Amino acid sequence: MQILKGIDLTVEAGQTVALLGPSGSGKSSLMAVLSGLERAGGGSLSVAGQDFAAMDEDALAAARRGRIGIVLQAFHLLPTMTAQENVATPMELAGEGDAWPRAAAELEAVGLGHRLTHYPAQLSGGEQQRVAIARATASRPMLIFADEPTGNLDGATGKDIIELLFARRAETGATLVIITHDPSLAERCGRIVTLGDGRIVSDTAAQ
Amino acid sequence: MTRAAATTLPWTAAWAIARRDLNRRFRGLRLLLVCLFLGVGALAAIGSLTGAIQSELTGRGKEILGGDLEIGLWQRAPTVQELMVMNGYGIVSGGQRMQATASAGDMAAPIELKAVDGNWPMFGTFTLKDGTRAGAPPAGKAWLAQGAAERLGIGPGDSFQLGTLTLEVGGIIGEEPDRLSEGFALGPTVIVAMDVPERAGLVAPGAMYQGKYRIAFDRDYDAEAVSKKIEELFPSAGFEFRTSDRASPGADRFVSRMGEFLVLVGLAALVIAGIGIGGGVSSYLQARRTSIATLKILGATSRDIARIYALQLGAAALAGALAGLVAGVALTPLLSWALGSLLPVRTGLVIDPAALARAAGFGLLVALIFAAPPLDKARRFPAMALMRERVSPLARQWRGLLLPVGGGLVAIAALALVGTPQPSLSAMFMGGAAALLAVLALLGWAIRRAAERAPRPRNPLLRNALANLHRPGAQTGALVTALGFGLSAFVLLAGVQTSLDANIQRSVPQMAPDYFVLDIPRGRIDEFEALVRKESPKAEIRAVPTLRGKILAYGPKGHMIRVADLKEIPEGAWPLRGERGLTYSDSVPEGNSLTSGKWWPRDYAGEPLVSVDQELADALDLKIGDYLSVGLLGVERSARISSFRRIDWDSMGFNYVLVFSPNAIADAPHNLAATIDLPDGVPTGPLLRQMVRAFPSSSVIEVGQVLSEARAILGQVGAAILAAASVAVLAGLAVLLGAIAAARASRLYDNVILRVLGASRRQLLLLQLAEYGLLALVLAGVALVLGSALAWLVIAQLFEFDWLPGWPRILAVLGAGLALVLGFALGGSLPLLRARPAQVLREL
Repeated sequence: MQILKGIDLTVEAGQTVALLGPSGSGKSSLMAVLSGLERAGGGSLSVAGQDFAAMDEDALAAARRGRIGIVLQAFHLLPTMTAQENVATPMELAGEGDAWPRAAAELEAVGLGHRLTHYPAQLSGGEQQRVAIARATASRPMLIFADEPTGNLDGATGKDIIELLFARRAETGATLVIITHDPSLAERCGRIVTLGDGRIVSDTAAQ
Repeated sequence: MTRAAATTLPWTAAWAIARRDLNRRFRGLRLLLVCLFLGVGALAAIGSLTGAIQSELTGRGKEILGGDLEIGLWQRAPTVQELMVMNGYGIVSGGQRMQATASAGDMAAPIELKAVDGNWPMFGTFTLKDGTRAGAPPAGKAWLAQGAAERLGIGPGDSFQLGTLTLEVGGIIGEEPDRLSEGFALGPTVIVAMDVPERAGLVAPGAMYQGKYRIAFDRDYDAEAVSKKIEELFPSAGFEFRTSDRASPGADRFVSRMGEFLVLVGLAALVIAGIGIGGGVSSYLQARRTSIATLKILGATSRDIARIYALQLGAAALAGALAGLVAGVALTPLLSWALGSLLPVRTGLVIDPAALARAAGFGLLVALIFAAPPLDKARRFPAMALMRERVSPLARQWRGLLLPVGGGLVAIAALALVGTPQPSLSAMFMGGAAALLAVLALLGWAIRRAAERAPRPRNPLLRNALANLHRPGAQTGALVTALGFGLSAFVLLAGVQTSLDANIQRSVPQMAPDYFVLDIPRGRIDEFEALVRKESPKAEIRAVPTLRGKILAYGPKGHMIRVADLKEIPEGAWPLRGERGLTYSDSVPEGNSLTSGKWWPRDYAGEPLVSVDQELADALDLKIGDYLSVGLLGVERSARISSFRRIDWDSMGFNYVLVFSPNAIADAPHNLAATIDLPDGVPTGPLLRQMVRAFPSSSVIEVGQVLSEARAILGQVGAAILAAASVAVLAGLAVLLGAIAAARASRLYDNVILRVLGASRRQLLLLQLAEYGLLALVLAGVALVLGSALAWLVIAQLFEFDWLPGWPRILAVLGAGLALVLGFALGGSLPLLRARPAQVLREL
């Protein structure tokens, strides 16, 4: 089944992009392809100078390491690992030696220095998403993807999380792509790309 | 396309992640742990025990045999030439064994008389109960086994009567080094000096006794070669040779038979465990789908995933195998105790590194084979799964499995075939197990197809139950295999148990005589009968001539096959081993029936004839008109086969494989043997005393006592078989419950949705009942066939008992198994049904 049709999109380094659109418009599929979670069935895709379209799944996984951070709506922390272990894991996968102290520092930076040894089940939703953000940004990626990062949180907590996400992005200078239904969140991004039926309906700079 | 160029995660880093993700209590991997624990434990215990016994038997071979080589001969002493040849190889210790009756005052007891010369014992030490080391008893004295002294009511210093001789009890037997090689005794042992049997009148010509001549080699001879040489020098002597590496053939045979069975049980437990491992690993990885996808999002490649989870599974497998090894070692003394006097040697705590390594090797290889397919599937689990809640199951890719599964199978086959003493049996079993797995897989596939093609029922629950059997991701295949094996194990156990019970019941013949009396002089049979009738006028007496001889050759005249030239005794031709009882008769013996040929007429005086047991004839492919020759008191005699007979072995009377025409062997010196049936309620004591007094050289065997001993042994064999088979059943049970638990976990989502849609708890329970009921019924039929076939193999083929299954009990056990399956399936879903859908939905 062809989900994305005729998408032509260039995102510059350091940009913040909001992907808007109704359910089924292809937002998640576009993000999956851009982040290398799924291979595009056709066309060409270059991410950070690498030809993602020509890579198999394992090559894509390797390409993500250290370069791409992903934050998901349902947090998806590893339930059997503590907060610190969760943050350290991608750095360990990338073979970075100082993963352990860096994970602690990252958690400190997102305000969870006192929760290092806690398991996801012992953390609130907001705290879990903070861990997920620390995990996504710990290895200073060039690209951060966030799929409705506040979708599972209440309004106040969601706001805190967005603040944190943008603050972390600003610190690292990474490119940020956020999928959202929330127009006010989209407004915080430099660029808003709206999808409909697998196509780009509009591509505008934020006011 | 660019393949993964990035380096795979180093093992240490993979282990760091694996360890973190691995629950310390191995949650989710417990089925794998339990299955490996049971399988490896069973194999470790079995391997250690049989290894210890066999090494004890071979290590102490000389001591057990009493020499490097033993030469047995019946009813005669060796000739001067024969003795000279024996002496040429080293020191010879001669002796005699016979049944006899000892008496003291009013007490009489059947005994096993063992006459030994001054060289006895050549190996090991003989000690009396008081700790004194001794050899042959001095003149006028005897060493008595505790049992003999008790039966006669005498102790050291007292005297007793043996034949025509009065002897003094010199001491009570403590340790007898060659006890094991003496075999099954019909009474307690009495050891006397070499000249006693003759002086007591027990070895008159024709008397039934066995000479045993043992040689302690003075040089490093090959015992087999020496036996061959002596056999060639004296082809008609009828010698029976035993070498020290096979010192105790009876014990050897039993140990190897039991060993075969135990190896089968161990392998069965492992195969069942393998299924459990497959199921356990599959559901563990299924539950880890989100973690796997998350790791992939974080940059883990499929190879990294394989490494991480292989390490987790490996750690759990190692833990299970280690626990199994410890349990196996701890179990060995218990097993040895349970088998009790069936075992020829006592074994305590045995640590046999080779056996343990084999058990662990088997376990880990089985874990590899059965865990590789689900692991391969998990490895390929897409990261996208996190963004799409439910993805369709992955298609199986066989290429990646070739190395672990194929290699594992080859390694396991090699381990089973090279290391076991019964490679053909192991090969047969593994072939059978593979065929069985294939049959069950086929059945699983057929059930899926049938459910798919069946018309859709209108009832939504039934429709769902049917759909559950064939929908994508359905556990039908795994359930069919696990339930099939589990229920078969139940039937197997019930079949084995009921058959054993029936065999034990049948081992008490309804018409068993009260006494066997051996060595009644030919000329005094009337006197003997008169004596018995005087004590008990209604007693039934049956007397037959009895001789002992060895079958030397058989086949068509001119092309006879010499038994000595046979590399292997043909299957079922056990009478070719050693000496057999021979008799002659004018008429077809009672309880026998002719199957072909003709019986000779009364007072027949033509060519010597012989009638042969039909089973032996079948085993040796004998034809009427062929010839058969036997060695009788050192002389070879031939006779033409004139008929075949069917023998009713269950009648406890005189049953002879070979019955000759009187003119063939009646001229050889021999005595008669008799059975005595006393009417119920007649006390046997007075008759025994009378017989001992009047016929001192005859020996009496009390059937009741022998039977109760045989029953006790059979009971122990039965208990041991059942105990061992229980291991397989335990493994089967674990797998069964594991499979149901795994299938249930995958139903959680459906059940919750159905609850949301308004299904009542009762309806959901009925749904489960319909689904499992359908499966269980089909599998009950399969298990009945499969389990009974296996039980028949164990009972009839391996242990050569009669196949006497108790169907009502087997069906009841199968019913209980079904109830267990349904009960577990339903009971397990109760908490699920009690849960509030909204709450569960949040956790899904």
